[in-house]
Amino acid sequence: METPTPKERLLGVLNKEQELVDRPPVICVGGMMNAAVVEIMERTGRRLPEGHGDVDLMVQIALDVYEQTGFENFGLPFCMTVEAEVAGSDISLGSLSCEPKIEKEAYPSVSDVEFRDVEDMLRSGRIPVVLGAIEKLSRSHPHVPVTGTLTGPISLAASLVDPVTFYKELHLKRERSHEVLDYVSNLLAAFAERMVEHGASCIAIGDPSATGEILGPHAFKEYAVRYINRIADRVRIAGVPVILHICGNIGSVKHLLPELRVDAISTDVVVSLVRLKEEFPGLVTMGNVSTYLLEFGDPDRVARTTTRLVDEGIDIIAPACGLSTSTSLALIRAMTDAAKETRPRG
Amino acid sequence: MGDKKQLFQDMSDAVVAMDEERVVALARTVIESKVDVYEAIENGLSHGMERAGQLFEEEEYFVPELLVCSDAMYAGLDLLRPHLTQCEGGSKHKVVIGVIEGDTHDIGKNLVKIMLETGGFELHDLGRDVPAARFVQKAGEIDADIIAISTLMTTTMDGMAEVVKLLEKENLRDRVKVIVGGGPISQGFAARIGADGYAAHAGAAVNVARGLMNGDRAHAR
Repeated sequence: METPTPKERLLGVLNKEQELVDRPPVICVGGMMNAAVVEIMERTGRRLPEGHGDVDLMVQIALDVYEQTGFENFGLPFCMTVEAEVAGSDISLGSLSCEPKIEKEAYPSVSDVEFRDVEDMLRSGRIPVVLGAIEKLSRSHPHVPVTGTLTGPISLAASLVDPVTFYKELHLKRERSHEVLDYVSNLLAAFAERMVEHGASCIAIGDPSATGEILGPHAFKEYAVRYINRIADRVRIAGVPVILHICGNIGSVKHLLPELRVDAISTDVVVSLVRLKEEFPGLVTMGNVSTYLLEFGDPDRVARTTTRLVDEGIDIIAPACGLSTSTSLALIRAMTDAAKETRPRG
Repeated sequence: MGDKKQLFQDMSDAVVAMDEERVVALARTVIESKVDVYEAIENGLSHGMERAGQLFEEEEYFVPELLVCSDAMYAGLDLLRPHLTQCEGGSKHKVVIGVIEGDTHDIGKNLVKIMLETGGFELHDLGRDVPAARFVQKAGEIDADIIAISTLMTTTMDGMAEVVKLLEKENLRDRVKVIVGGGPISQGFAARIGADGYAAHAGAAVNVARGLMNGDRAHAR
């Protein structure tokens, strides 16, 4: 087999074209899984938070991350506040070591959410910056996949309405909750379509507020599955595959995985991906090197964990959750190097 | 008195059933019929909330359900509290609670707060994204028994260790117990940073906190 390019390898896995794949790709998708750690930015002098709002700086930082970590993709944006900002919430861009966050949700209740025009939102805030950076990177590096990463619909809704109120209202104001989720899903799907138009090779969705532990199976099915599918369907019509990351223990919602119309599932470290694959043959899995190990472990242990995942047949190797910005490059490299060592696959 | 027992049971059931209107109506009945308010809170409202916490641990209820139960409980509590006589309120163990700096997820913290309040603790909520020093300062200020720290993000776990170190530096370590919890936290992590307790669930936090207070009678008030 000719060695595939990183883009061919990742898309081969996601499109289930095994004949194109020599080994699992090792990636870090962006958004909540931002890989722009402090050590890289201190070395280069090209820094966040400035890079969150500047196309050229965003491109440069993505290149720095690509070159120094060994991850085989460009993961953009570097945070999960881009969508909430254009929908009206106050955000803080944080600092070099502290990622952007929601300062104040725009609305006290789902009843108060004003539905803004999607096209207007796509022209505002940092959305043009993200799209511009995706375009530049996909043109300058056609063999490297750009993973455009979205904040999941439940997390975005919980960034617009105070989360405690929002979770209660999933129960108490169901109809209105659906209207709000419909609204945020339209924004997210349209943003993803633009990402694809600008050159994104696939779309990743991270929805940390939509865990099985928080929502339980009933609300997960009624809200998370429904709106994630709505976004995923539009992304797939746009022509690229979708990766979904689910935080936490998925025990209570595992039976719902077959209902999710996504191309790969990424999970947290508490979930055994190899067992998940046994239970759902054909499921494409991504993960799940402990981010705690990546921050506090040593290179040997990181490499061993990574090798174990490769040997178990995990399809895409990735951090299990968001990387700490103080994670060292040495440990990230231990992971990416171990994943790239070619071994006969049995 | 059978009536009273039934009334408390109904209150408890209404909390579990997330029926705020019914809880309020029953609380009014308590006041009108001059039933012991303290007992109604203990055996009705708190009882119901503890059952809801149990259902949460058993994964029958999840976060939305538990939050709606707590709203029902607080609606009853708001009505009954003004009718408590001073001494019945009692002096409670004080807990400083917050989400460590860098994390703005406060669902877990809010659940623990609800369950600890239900369990009879006095809560001082610092909110989310709280610097380590602020926990320690507040604990000193109010002479707290417990600092409860939550995080959902692995990226912020260092801050928890920092709280323990600062307590040592301020010579408060033997007076204040530290309990930690949240998605990425484990018993092992809690032990490693020198915390006194770890709770996997909001419901478990009450037992952990009570256990620590019982083991520390010298500081119990």
